[in-house]
Amino acid sequence: MTRPSCQDTLLIKKRDLKNNYFSATFRTYSRVDQCRPGQFVHIQIPSAEIYFRRAMSIAGVSSRRREIEVIFKVVGRGTRQLGNLHEKDRVNLLGPLGVPFRWPRKSETAVIVAGGVGFPPLLYLASEMVKRGHDPRRIEFFYGGRSSADLIERSRIRKLGVRFHPVTEDGSVGEKGLVTGPVEEFVRRAPNRHLRLYGCGPEGMLKATNELGVRLKVPGQISLEAPMPCGIGICLGCVVPLVGGGHARVCWDGPVFEIGEVAL
Amino acid sequence: MSPDLRVSFAGVEFANPIMTASGCCGYGEELAKVYPLSKLGALVTKSVTLKPRLGHPPPRTAETASGMLNAIGLANVGIDCFITDKIPFLEKQKTRVIVNVAGSSLNEYVEVCGRLSDIARVDMIELNISCPNVDEGGMEFGADPVMTEKLVAAVKKVFPRPVIAKLSPNVTSIATIAAAAEQGGADALAVINSLVGTAIDVETWRPRLTYNKGGLTGAAIKPVALAMVNAVHEKCRLPIIGIGGISNGSDAVEFFLCGATAVQVGTALFIEPDVPVRMLGELKAYLKRKKLSSIGELTGKVRKY
Ligand SMILES: Cc1cc2nc3c(=O)[nH]c(=O)nc-3n(C[C@H](O)[C@H](O)[C@H](O)COP(=O)(O)OP(=O)(O)OC[C@H]3O[C@@H](n4cnc5c(N)ncnc54)[C@H](O)[C@@H]3O)c2cc1C
Ligand SMILES: Cc1cc2nc3c(=O)[nH]c(=O)nc-3n(C[C@H](O)[C@H](O)[C@H](O)COP(=O)(O)O)c2cc1C
Ligand code: FES
Repeated sequence: MTRPSCQDTLLIKKRDLKNNYFSATFRTYSRVDQCRPGQFVHIQIPSAEIYFRRAMSIAGVSSRRREIEVIFKVVGRGTRQLGNLHEKDRVNLLGPLGVPFRWPRKSETAVIVAGGVGFPPLLYLASEMVKRGHDPRRIEFFYGGRSSADLIERSRIRKLGVRFHPVTEDGSVGEKGLVTGPVEEFVRRAPNRHLRLYGCGPEGMLKATNELGVRLKVPGQISLEAPMPCGIGICLGCVVPLVGGGHARVCWDGPVFEIGEVAL
Repeated sequence: MSPDLRVSFAGVEFANPIMTASGCCGYGEELAKVYPLSKLGALVTKSVTLKPRLGHPPPRTAETASGMLNAIGLANVGIDCFITDKIPFLEKQKTRVIVNVAGSSLNEYVEVCGRLSDIARVDMIELNISCPNVDEGGMEFGADPVMTEKLVAAVKKVFPRPVIAKLSPNVTSIATIAAAAEQGGADALAVINSLVGTAIDVETWRPRLTYNKGGLTGAAIKPVALAMVNAVHEKCRLPIIGIGGISNGSDAVEFFLCGATAVQVGTALFIEPDVPVRMLGELKAYLKRKKLSSIGELTGKVRKY
């Protein structure tokens, strides 16, 4: 059981990953040992103009150094301010929040489908799987974007020793096209079909991954995004409709949902 | 000696004057994972209606300058599920429980309040006659003094413990509605609910909420709320629970000075879920610094020109 808390941390490392992406590492985060891939932190932007926190997936942690990393893209007012922070700036984190991904069974092959700002939690997921002894050759990491500049931090995935499949719409790196094409091809060709899908990325990619899982009967999970005033399930602002009727809160019942669960 | 934060009104004692506002703390289960609810003077539940409600489709919140708009649309589990699923949790919490009730007709309010009457854990009822986000009922009641009086009187007949009327700021004279609630037999007043507002996306020309408008809350509304607490306090003798944009101890003190006996914190919980805990420390420090022994010494003491 995670018990979220608000905590002041220091930005100790900021890296410009180009193409408006940044990596930010915060210390000291006492909750590192409770963090699981798929969870997020709600970041208070130290600026009077930004009222709400901004949700960012956990991209990695260091237990030993009590550090937590997020990777974000500048897309609006809040993330611009975040990108303007300096090392040693004080930042308040609320977390860890949300339902994490489920681990694959040892016998299963994890088929990861990543894109855009959906990449950070899946980088964390793949790293933790490897750390926990999941055979890296049983991790198929599909990473899609418009062009090579959108596929940040590729070296970190390569270093994990997983099977890496970059896909770009312009063909500047990896296969050319939309990422879900090669994913479907792989799933159809997979001999034993002990597969588990993990998807996080732009809406179109999520929809396609969800649809593919339902159609080809591959179990797995997708992680969603929604504007989140509170992040802890108390405002009911972040809801999504469920296939079986009713609403779920993306922040508290998710952000990770089973394939086929959400009406996308 | 440490100052006494206890307050009491309508014959009920509260450990401290800080409550969490309706719709901003669910039924307490989530906040209880962040800190023990015994830290709160009271927890006010999300509005409960007779039937479960899904609320409006998303987007139903939008960030604004120093505040937010919401048009949740009274999403809630309904009275049956509330009693079977949520009351058992609340039974175990060492805080006062105030159940906020909403309805689209007088009968609906009466039925829901009747169902709560023999659940001793429900210390008080707060009548939401001020929700701007539903087509029927809600604000309609709270905008009409005759309806307000009738509704409060009807609920008082079926619910044996204190009843709070939660007033809408979207009226010409909030003091008139307050007087009507008092006439109907209300034991206390909660001032204020959210202000009607909207925001438009200039790229798509679409409102930022599917309900096309919503309720404005958060720091932005504090000055409006204070003026309304003042206006109600001048006209009406009932204890007042001040609400609107409160996010620290000094905000709460402003409300006490304008006439509030207790306060509720809403939107600020979204940014800092443990804001009530911090406020307790700030209030204690304030009373000490001012050499006051209780919150009561502040209530209504604003030194007007
Ligand atoms: C669980 C979760 C994990 C996320 N992880 C990451 C991540 O690892 N890296 C990353 O770069 N981004 C991530 N995001 C998206 C990120 O939260 C938004 O890009 C950010 O809130 C935009 O803020 P802004 O002020 O720059 O944009 P603006 O468009 O100016 O924001 C306006 C308002 O809309 C909200 N909003 C707008 N778009 C989104 C969105 N897509 N998701 C949530 N809220 C939104 C903002 O919070 C704000 O209240 C995640 C979102 C969620 C819900
Ligand atoms: C998301 C949200 C949902 C709310 N839902 C309710 C509700 O169900 N019933 C009610 O009486 N008030 C509701 N309110 C109003 C609050 O209880 C409170 O009156 C208002 O937000 C002003 O206080 P604040 O500025 O501290 O948030 C809601 C407010 C918000 C922001
Ligand atoms: S963001 Fe408030 S309930 Fe999810």
